[in-house]
Amino acid sequence: MKKMLLTGVLLALSGAGAVKVGVLLPLSGSGSVSGQAARNGYLLALDEINRAGGVLGKPLELEFADDGSSPAKAVPEFVKLVTVDKVDFMAGGVSSATSIAISGPAKQYGTFMAWIGAAAVPVEDAFADHKYFFHYHPWSYYNFEAILGYFKTLKTQKKARNIAIAYEDGPFGSAGINDTVAAFKKAGFNVVMTEKFKTGSGNFGPIISKAKAARPDIFYWVGYDTDALPLATEIKQQNLQVGLVYGTPPSWPVGFEKNQLADNIAGLSLWLPSSPQAESRKFVAAYRKKFGNVTEEYFAPLAYVNLKTLAAAINGAGGTDKDKVAAALAATNTPTPFGPLTFSKSNKTQYQGFKAGNWLHFQFQGDSRVPVYPIKFAQKPMVWNK
Amino acid sequence: MSRAAELPRTVTRRPDFTGRALVPLALFFLLALAFPFLPLGARAEYLLQIAFFTVVAGVLALSWDILARSGQVSLAHAAFYGLGAYGFALLVKVMPWFLAMPLAALIAALLSLILGAVTMRLSGMYFAIATLAFTEVVRTIIQNLPESVAGGANGLLVPALLGGNARAQYFLAVAVLLLTALVSLAVRFTRLHHAFAAIRQGEETARVLGVSIVRYKLLAFFISSFLAALGGVLFAGKTFFINPLETFSLANSIAPLTTSIFGGLYTTLGPILGATVLRVAEEILHNSIKNGYLVVYGLVLMLSILWLPRGLMGLLRKGKHGGDL
Repeated sequence: MKKMLLTGVLLALSGAGAVKVGVLLPLSGSGSVSGQAARNGYLLALDEINRAGGVLGKPLELEFADDGSSPAKAVPEFVKLVTVDKVDFMAGGVSSATSIAISGPAKQYGTFMAWIGAAAVPVEDAFADHKYFFHYHPWSYYNFEAILGYFKTLKTQKKARNIAIAYEDGPFGSAGINDTVAAFKKAGFNVVMTEKFKTGSGNFGPIISKAKAARPDIFYWVGYDTDALPLATEIKQQNLQVGLVYGTPPSWPVGFEKNQLADNIAGLSLWLPSSPQAESRKFVAAYRKKFGNVTEEYFAPLAYVNLKTLAAAINGAGGTDKDKVAAALAATNTPTPFGPLTFSKSNKTQYQGFKAGNWLHFQFQGDSRVPVYPIKFAQKPMVWNK
Repeated sequence: MSRAAELPRTVTRRPDFTGRALVPLALFFLLALAFPFLPLGARAEYLLQIAFFTVVAGVLALSWDILARSGQVSLAHAAFYGLGAYGFALLVKVMPWFLAMPLAALIAALLSLILGAVTMRLSGMYFAIATLAFTEVVRTIIQNLPESVAGGANGLLVPALLGGNARAQYFLAVAVLLLTALVSLAVRFTRLHHAFAAIRQGEETARVLGVSIVRYKLLAFFISSFLAALGGVLFAGKTFFINPLETFSLANSIAPLTTSIFGGLYTTLGPILGATVLRVAEEILHNSIKNGYLVVYGLVLMLSILWLPRGLMGLLRKGKHGGDL
């Protein structure tokens, strides 16, 4: 305790010239759930970093800015962090549209970007030639790669052949849907239904009727959290006989796991509080100690990992020279709540962190999300309803 | 029948126009042009970014107001704004930006004539719903074009306007706002004003008085959508990216409407002032109340509209003749 106090006092006294990291997040607007979760992750990491001596012998400082989930707000906020607050590094970034909007100023100022979100491929295009862009979240094509890999396993183990697809007609559901169908077919699946729906409409009657007639082994839906309960209700009411219902909403409805209708519905996440890795357990314990609860939003641990690795790279570089920090961060090889983190090339960018292999597949069983694949992380066998 | 004969004698008289009325507007533009040269210290570049988006908001609000003067309370502004953005993104691949920009706006304006023709007989909430539906139709079409053409639901990267030079982009935006203001003044101080006002106050009466409802309504649509599309071009060239959901968002139709009402309907200075005050207030609140600033902002906006039924211009014109800017 004395040692901690002494460290704190020394750090406070040496505050001048501290390393400043700007954090641009959607703290309001449509992306605010992920943004607020990420903020907690950063605050937790900040506590730990400064308790352990800070960065370069000085306390690390965070300067948060709210991009409002809007490009028109993100651009001035980014420029303010870089030119007024004079941050040394930038972290954060959830929305793809806002990330692209700041790619111009980022290149203009040569800003160092340790970025946690923004999975859309156009972001990859926008930052392809930026030499200080480190992307932690898997690109969207890695997400589908993970899903396809899981379904191929089901094809082998459960003889799953027929897939029915329901997708929302906005960008989230529709983006690359033709490629999705083509990839399933190429992998030897029969796509027996492809139906779009209006998210939030709550009317899944016709789609489930059609799915019943098509007799799929897997019902795959791409929509938002608001669609989860009406869809589950309709599946129950019409007694759709299907091996697996698999959904990929960005987040699930609060308390969905407590609803019996959720039983056996499966999905995808980068992380779950029940993830078995030691780093995950440490994160959960530290998070509970600081905030008094546990989050299921993976942007919290992702932000935590983001700041911890950036701080380690700055310390490793022995200064804030961007090239040296980039070299140190590029050499990262550390355990995280998502599994080991290393950076390697993606299709277009130089430094990509997590990839398809970091995704977990879970199933709602009982009152919680249970990891069921990859097998090495599975805590219970998957329930196949056929 | 000559154009002059279309309008009744009582309203063919040109509105009062004095050079003095232009002073506040001229001052605004002088300040806008001088803004990047002000000694703003470390905040200069940040404030320049805010100023850019404020100017674009002014373009959208004023262009919406020009249409509203003909009695058409449209919720299709996002469609024209988006068409401008998408048109520019596609055209700039095959021609220089200074040609792509007006051509994209022209295409949007020509398409607006379709909406104008379809909604000709509608008014009030029926007109508003039809314009809202039009935006949704345009969004759906753009989204379902082949991905190789318009990027589909993923969206499109857009080349930076003027090489991404923030100061040059700002001056271009001010030039577009100046053009919008000049068009607005032209509408205000020609017989168009009377034609639009007559239609707004009662189509049957206007028709009896000889006003060509079809011609003037379509003209209002054409002018308004051309200018809104220019706003879309500015936005797309600044943010480098457009996608159907955000570009054709209802917010892009609502914001010009509320800004115009807040600033003062059927005026030139009002929507520009409204955009300036609202954007600056939003930024100040954003920086001072990190959590929940939108609640305060919404309350301020709501109370302002309740207490200032004629907007900011109502305050400025108190006790004065209303025929100014």
